[in-house]
Amino acid sequence: MQAAEYKHWKLSRDGDGIAWLLIDRASESTNTLSQDVIAEFDTILDALTSDTPRGLVIMSGKDNGFIAGADIREFEAFEDAARVTELVKQGHAVFAKLEKLKCPTVAAVSGFCVGGGYELALCCKYIMVLDVPGTRVGLPEIKLGIMPGLGGTVRLNERVGGMKGMTAMLTGKLYRAKQARALGMVDEVVSRHSNLRWAARRAVMQKRKFKGPSLVSRAVNSNLARDTLAGQMVKQTSAKANPKHYPGPFALIDMWKEQKGDRAAKFNAEAELFGSLLVSPESRGLQRVFHLMERLKRLGKNEDFKCRRVHVVGAGVMGGDIAAWCALQGMEVTVQDREMQYIEPAIKRARELFKRRTRSKHAADAAAARFLPDVDGKGVARADVVIEAIFENAEAKQALYKTLEPKMRDDAVLATNTSAIPLETLSTALDKPSRLIGLHFFNPVAKMPLVEVVYAPDTDQQVVSRGNAFCGQINRFPVPVKSNPGFLVNRVLAPYMLEAMKMYNEGMSKEAIDAAALDFGMPMGPIELADTVGLDVGLSVVKNLGGDGADAAAEVLGKMIDEGQLGKKSGNGFYTWVKAKPQKEEYEPDDKIEERASRLLKPFLDECQACSKDGIVEDDDLLDAGIIFGTGFAPFRGGPMHYLKTRDLPDSSSKESAA
Amino acid sequence: MTNTLRPVAVVGGVRIPFCRSNTAYSDLSNLDMLSTTLNGLVDKYSLQGEKIDETNAGAVINHSRDWNVAREAVLGTELSPLSPAITMQQACGTSLQAALVSSAKIASGQIDCAIAAGADTVSDVPIVFGKRFARRLVGLGRAKSPMAKLKTLKGFGPGELKPLPPSTNEPRTLLSMGQHCELMAQHWGITRQAQDELAVQSHHKAAAAYNSGFFDDLITPCEQVLRDNNMRPDTSMEALSGLRQAYEKGEKGTLTAGNSTPLTDGASSVLLASEEWARERGLPILAYLTHGQTSAVDFVSGEGLLMAPAVAMSEMLKRANMQLQDFDFYEIHEAFAAQVLCTLAAWESEEYCRDRLGRDEPMGSIDRSKLNVVGSSLAVGHPFAATGARIVATLGKLLDQNAGGKGVISVCTAGGMGLTAILER
Repeated sequence: MQAAEYKHWKLSRDGDGIAWLLIDRASESTNTLSQDVIAEFDTILDALTSDTPRGLVIMSGKDNGFIAGADIREFEAFEDAARVTELVKQGHAVFAKLEKLKCPTVAAVSGFCVGGGYELALCCKYIMVLDVPGTRVGLPEIKLGIMPGLGGTVRLNERVGGMKGMTAMLTGKLYRAKQARALGMVDEVVSRHSNLRWAARRAVMQKRKFKGPSLVSRAVNSNLARDTLAGQMVKQTSAKANPKHYPGPFALIDMWKEQKGDRAAKFNAEAELFGSLLVSPESRGLQRVFHLMERLKRLGKNEDFKCRRVHVVGAGVMGGDIAAWCALQGMEVTVQDREMQYIEPAIKRARELFKRRTRSKHAADAAAARFLPDVDGKGVARADVVIEAIFENAEAKQALYKTLEPKMRDDAVLATNTSAIPLETLSTALDKPSRLIGLHFFNPVAKMPLVEVVYAPDTDQQVVSRGNAFCGQINRFPVPVKSNPGFLVNRVLAPYMLEAMKMYNEGMSKEAIDAAALDFGMPMGPIELADTVGLDVGLSVVKNLGGDGADAAAEVLGKMIDEGQLGKKSGNGFYTWVKAKPQKEEYEPDDKIEERASRLLKPFLDECQACSKDGIVEDDDLLDAGIIFGTGFAPFRGGPMHYLKTRDLPDSSSKESAA
Repeated sequence: MTNTLRPVAVVGGVRIPFCRSNTAYSDLSNLDMLSTTLNGLVDKYSLQGEKIDETNAGAVINHSRDWNVAREAVLGTELSPLSPAITMQQACGTSLQAALVSSAKIASGQIDCAIAAGADTVSDVPIVFGKRFARRLVGLGRAKSPMAKLKTLKGFGPGELKPLPPSTNEPRTLLSMGQHCELMAQHWGITRQAQDELAVQSHHKAAAAYNSGFFDDLITPCEQVLRDNNMRPDTSMEALSGLRQAYEKGEKGTLTAGNSTPLTDGASSVLLASEEWARERGLPILAYLTHGQTSAVDFVSGEGLLMAPAVAMSEMLKRANMQLQDFDFYEIHEAFAAQVLCTLAAWESEEYCRDRLGRDEPMGSIDRSKLNVVGSSLAVGHPFAATGARIVATLGKLLDQNAGGKGVISVCTAGGMGLTAILER
């Protein structure tokens, strides 16, 4: 066996004459494609071209996966679209060498194979994936405001047809082994009881290759079909993303639609579009969101704490839904309330969630079996995490803690889901006040990815870390926040909502107010948001936090609540709700919309700055992360603090100076 | 080889939760479940990279592709790939027999450590063609010319395509296990009520054990299932008395779905070792496996099919020079409530003990409060080959918690066989 050493790759030939190429990026835990890695790949491909082996197998030299994509940290240095396009074209040339090798080529994948990693695999004649839980295949670039740039837009559509290919690229979805096989994105699924290396050897020996696109796939790629399909794609994409804020997917559809026969032209079009999208402010914002998300995920991995059992006290909307979410994520959850009748509605909602969010009836049943009603509180003693989610009353909560604490394990986490009562007040009831943290979930639990992990000055930092770890284990992003009224998210939302109420009281239509927020890039208008969280909840926040205009708002809300108008849950609030949808009147956007958005967002942004000054989260990046994932604040703007910084730059685009 | 026998340590076991067939594990094979279980054992005792001298495992319902299932399962773990494995089978006694065989080798010094394990699924059963069609297919493969190929199809009828699912009926009597057990219940006069009571107790004791955390370190999750899904913590005599007879449909029938074990999918494992091997690695020793016995009865001539454990127990105790009452824990596998009760009745019967077991005195009664104290198969289910290892691990933990004592195991199997074993601490 002859072996050649490279920095990021390992190349060897075995007795059969098969070349085994392992990617093992130096001094990184995960394989990504940096310029350096690609340059070395180029050299290797030249060597393989001049001395063609019997076959080439490309695998990962790392256990955690194949290739996670291009190294997006390098993107940030690029400012000139033309320069990016130039680099992409160089990448195209390298990948083309792999595609042109005159021998069987096999990509043998275990774990993630995404973005540029999958684009590399697409240049091989045969792609196989190991059927392990971590295997994921896909092109998620769209989530960064860009699109595949290493030939993916050409090769994936050639392979599976534009319908499936474009869907994969527009949604950015990552597919499991068998899904990827069913879509034709890979050629073979290798059983987890088998072995990837031997399967790859077999594929080379038998000269296996992709069988070619199906008739349907080819038909879909015809000019006529593309015209029709592109129209539908634009329609479906518009339902999910505003073209004004997210130009990427629409540009991708356009490019596909306009494609003419010449393959080289398609690659050039990809390079051009990739360059212009990458340097756009929207993509910059989304790249930043990606980094923030990675940071939040890391927060959840710092502590060696494995949560298996959760006990939730209070089976109301929040408690019940938190319990259901934890059960869905694989925890065993005991749910306590005064009587079985108070737990039953939570069970019903949980079953609906399990049905919606699991892949089979068996999995839904298994989740339901993890959700255990527990009127007697038998689960407390064995729980790793105990979450209190009873009504907002300090005395009741304190009394409850007095009964919980002696039963709990010493190393178990005690958390409250309160949104109003200071942690310092509640913890006085405990023998060990330093053990209480806040785990502030948002409604609806199954949709809101953020959890505020609240701590007081004397809180044990290890408990905070465990809270973070717990959030990570239930697939939620933790943001540690110092205890203060409203924590981070509600503190920032409150003045914004009050401003909306003020505008409403001044006679502005609720549709106009909501439209202004949407135009800025918020996921939902403030009036609709108030209805969604519930006017009673809103009132308690307003009373709790006060602020400019709080009294007037409290009066309006109080009156509505007295008339039984609680928002979405009662069927009427500011809007009338039919089938969980607000009935909005027609609203024609006028030229004042940006001015209104600017007024609406000012208190929001001011409060963010105040939070930053008060240091209630570690730094402005974490603040941005909390606000983006807690409020849905326009992700393409990269977070409020980032937005404030870039907005004030002299060369910012017109869109950004709007607000 | 050493001349003196060495003590055999039970280090501990891990199993996946057992699930009723065609529920959570319906997509899993025996190999899947066995691998997951062994991985759980490797995690629990940090056996990564460790060479295990012997993994003795099997399944009762087998696909022909799983002819080397034990070794394949080992290769799917982080154990050293140099760990050999034996695929073996003795019906419902499989993993207990595996433990006995490996224990003997540890005692004699042939090996220092072993894993005894078993898996069974009735969700993923091999369904085969009849012999006639199978012969045709073989012939078709061997035929060289098109004419010869065509010849093999001569006389083909669609009836040949009827698939044959595996049958758990006794091949010689063609009675199901339940029908046999019903005959035993009639013979020993075991009432429906007594059977139902045993079943209710099994569920309640298992549920209490779960709530106390007893099973926490005995179970590794599988498919996000965390506890046995057959268990009914809230079952009652009222609930069970409403069920219809399952085997003998007439009035005298006593066996129901409630007092019989359901078809179950699952796998379990237990780690055995010499004392030195365990100590060198800082592993616990829960108990010692000191005696074992396998016996059989002549059920074809009329003995009760599932009475063999009664015989095995008698023979083992004679050899060990012990009394039936010498134990702190009795783990009697509950294939059917009636099987347990028939066995107890036989030991109490002067006539049976004299005529069948060759004893002057009846073996006597046991203290029922020491029977299956954390529930048994009626509650947790019974994936045939997995039950033995489940019981060894459970009894090991009970003795460890008790900080001493003796426990005895009894398992009945198809074909009129029975296995017993003693664990001591």
